[in-house]
Amino acid sequence: MAFIQKTLRKFGLLDDWQAPRRRAWLVFLIPGLIIYTLFMAYPLVNSMRLSFYTGTGLRPDHFVGLDNYKTLFGDTLWNERFTNALSNTFIFFGIHMAVQNSLGLLFATILSQKHLLGRNIYRTFIFIPATMSVLLTAFLWRLILNPRWGMLKALLERIGHEDWFKAWLGDTKYALIVVSLVSSWQWVGLPTMMFLAGFLRIPDELVEAARVDGANAFQIWLRIKLPLLKPIIGIVTILTFIGNFNAFDVVYAMMGANGPPQYSTDIMGTFFYRAAIAGEHPVARSDMGIGAAVATITFLILMVGVSSWLIFSRQQSEEAVLG
Amino acid sequence: MKKTLLVLILVAAVVVGMGHKAPVSKAQDEVTLTLGSWRVDDVEQIDALTAAFHEAYPNINVVFDPTNPPDYNATLQSQFETGNAPDLMYLRSFAVGRGLYDQGFISDISDVPGLTDAFTEGSLAAWSTEDGVHYGVPLMAVSHGIYYNVDLFNELGIEIPQTWEELLAAAQVLKDNGYDAFANASGEPWTIAEIVFMNLAPNFIGGYEGRMAYLNGERCFNDEHSVAAFQAMADLAPYVPEDNSALTYYDSQQIFLLGEAGMWMGGSWDIPFFESEEPDFDWSVFAVPAPAAQEEEYVTFHVDAAIGMNAATEHPDEARLFLQWMTTPEFAALFGNLLPGFFPLNVQAPTLDDPHADAFLKLNEGRGLDVRWAWEGLLDGEPTGYNLMQDNAIAVLNGEITPQEAADNLQNGLAEWFAPAQACGQ
Repeated sequence: MAFIQKTLRKFGLLDDWQAPRRRAWLVFLIPGLIIYTLFMAYPLVNSMRLSFYTGTGLRPDHFVGLDNYKTLFGDTLWNERFTNALSNTFIFFGIHMAVQNSLGLLFATILSQKHLLGRNIYRTFIFIPATMSVLLTAFLWRLILNPRWGMLKALLERIGHEDWFKAWLGDTKYALIVVSLVSSWQWVGLPTMMFLAGFLRIPDELVEAARVDGANAFQIWLRIKLPLLKPIIGIVTILTFIGNFNAFDVVYAMMGANGPPQYSTDIMGTFFYRAAIAGEHPVARSDMGIGAAVATITFLILMVGVSSWLIFSRQQSEEAVLG
Repeated sequence: MKKTLLVLILVAAVVVGMGHKAPVSKAQDEVTLTLGSWRVDDVEQIDALTAAFHEAYPNINVVFDPTNPPDYNATLQSQFETGNAPDLMYLRSFAVGRGLYDQGFISDISDVPGLTDAFTEGSLAAWSTEDGVHYGVPLMAVSHGIYYNVDLFNELGIEIPQTWEELLAAAQVLKDNGYDAFANASGEPWTIAEIVFMNLAPNFIGGYEGRMAYLNGERCFNDEHSVAAFQAMADLAPYVPEDNSALTYYDSQQIFLLGEAGMWMGGSWDIPFFESEEPDFDWSVFAVPAPAAQEEEYVTFHVDAAIGMNAATEHPDEARLFLQWMTTPEFAALFGNLLPGFFPLNVQAPTLDDPHADAFLKLNEGRGLDVRWAWEGLLDGEPTGYNLMQDNAIAVLNGEITPQEAADNLQNGLAEWFAPAQACGQ
């Protein structure tokens, strides 16, 4: 009892309310702090700790220092797979930015036109793929692109351009691009909605003022709307970045855990899955320790990316305030 | 002094315990054993099997508790480390099963009665040490061959090929008539490795003896036999479906079932799938034929799983009874008929009711049997023999490299870690 009283007093919640009241916020942090520590910080730190261990079970117990990282960066085969997965993930991210987010911006621009007929119908159509299971869209697209009985091939035959069709999913040059496009197709609804919300929030007065000043529609979009959308573009970029570096499902569902053909669709998610959980068929020799090392590197990449955006956006908003 | 006392007390306790147990009826000390596995598809069949065991031994229940295949190895390892492992468990052949034995998790079961009479040395070898310790009772093998469309073969007047050359001629006939000769595709790389390359390889490298010559360093992995196996992949290249690099395993099965291809190089595990998918479709199997100049023929009859015993089980006697039961012909007949396509390894091969499974098993007659080439020894380092064979076989199939280059890649890749490959041919 005395302890509780003491603690409460310490946080300024007993006796004289007025003076220490500024410190009272501390107490409201406690529930969040406990939950966050227990379910986020501890597993995260523990996963980093595991990256210094090795072992064949779910709990690596043999301390090896930096050996897992040495393997990832030093061993020819591991390093080849690792850099391949890393660069594929950057390509995967690049295509999402170029296709998914640009299309999202375009769709949001169109949907924000007040006189557009059937606006809600378009909006629904654009968002529908995002509500579907990845397994479903992956299967759907594998069928469409199937070189034997796929719809796309039949369509191209119908218009007399059979030669345009290639077995893209079996080609190391195209497979990753196709998988990225399928993923972009599925998720384009999310940036569209966020950009649309951003566009709709822009005050009409600004647009009208620009129009009075003689700006045409494109100029208004480029000079007025786009700069005001900057924070949302930043958030969408960072969400795409995080999503892509943690992506696993679309490649796993469409291509399999090895990222075939020839590891050309292997991304960080599938690489991690093989290293930590499944191993490579048929040996299935996996090592949680090296998996934890892969996860730690992914985390560091994400942290660098997200923090640099945070710093950048803070500078931006400070500049905006200071004029 | 203390020790002696302790021993005395223990002995006394055991004697008293035995004396106490004797009059108790069997039903009261019923024992439940768990059986770990990666065969999540077989729950119904294995339950029927364990029910039959329960009938023979009413005081023992065996509960089948399978794990998702990709997680099986890691899960089992953790179960052993934390002392929660099942009493009995499926063991993968060679390296993975051996790892568990070397860590002391599974028992030496060499003394299970009937073990060495019921199985050949070859079957036992996948779960044995160099010193002749057996740690698994062989459970099942899968076979490999060439599925063919009986109606199509009759219609086009194609005889079952007796030589590799006749096989290619038959493929040409199919192709000339607008069919795909083989439905196989490389969209899922493992299919080329396991049901094409390692299916045909024993006929070109000379089965078990030939494979051993690689494993003990007498032969290099780029010798003429290895090149011949990759050449066989090149021979098949004109006869696989167009754009096969983007066709999946499932696509292949459907191409064959729809009658668009005359043949499919496949494994026996697909018997139930083909039978249930297309019950009226008339298909059968023949073995991959050897080149005309060669008399001996081989079938890839791959030992796939054994059952081992947890070294720390609380019921070792009961678990041993189960293992002993597995060596009986009754078990073999029961298992073989419950799971067509998975063959019991008992030397007294049962007659199988399923005509397709029976046809597959008959391929073994008069032919040398061997496991898949990459399994023994070649999976223990990186890059694995499996990946090297798979990637190079696909590259040959796609015409990207020559058979000689493929064999050289296999040799050079293995020479990075596999001692016999480093010192071969000397």
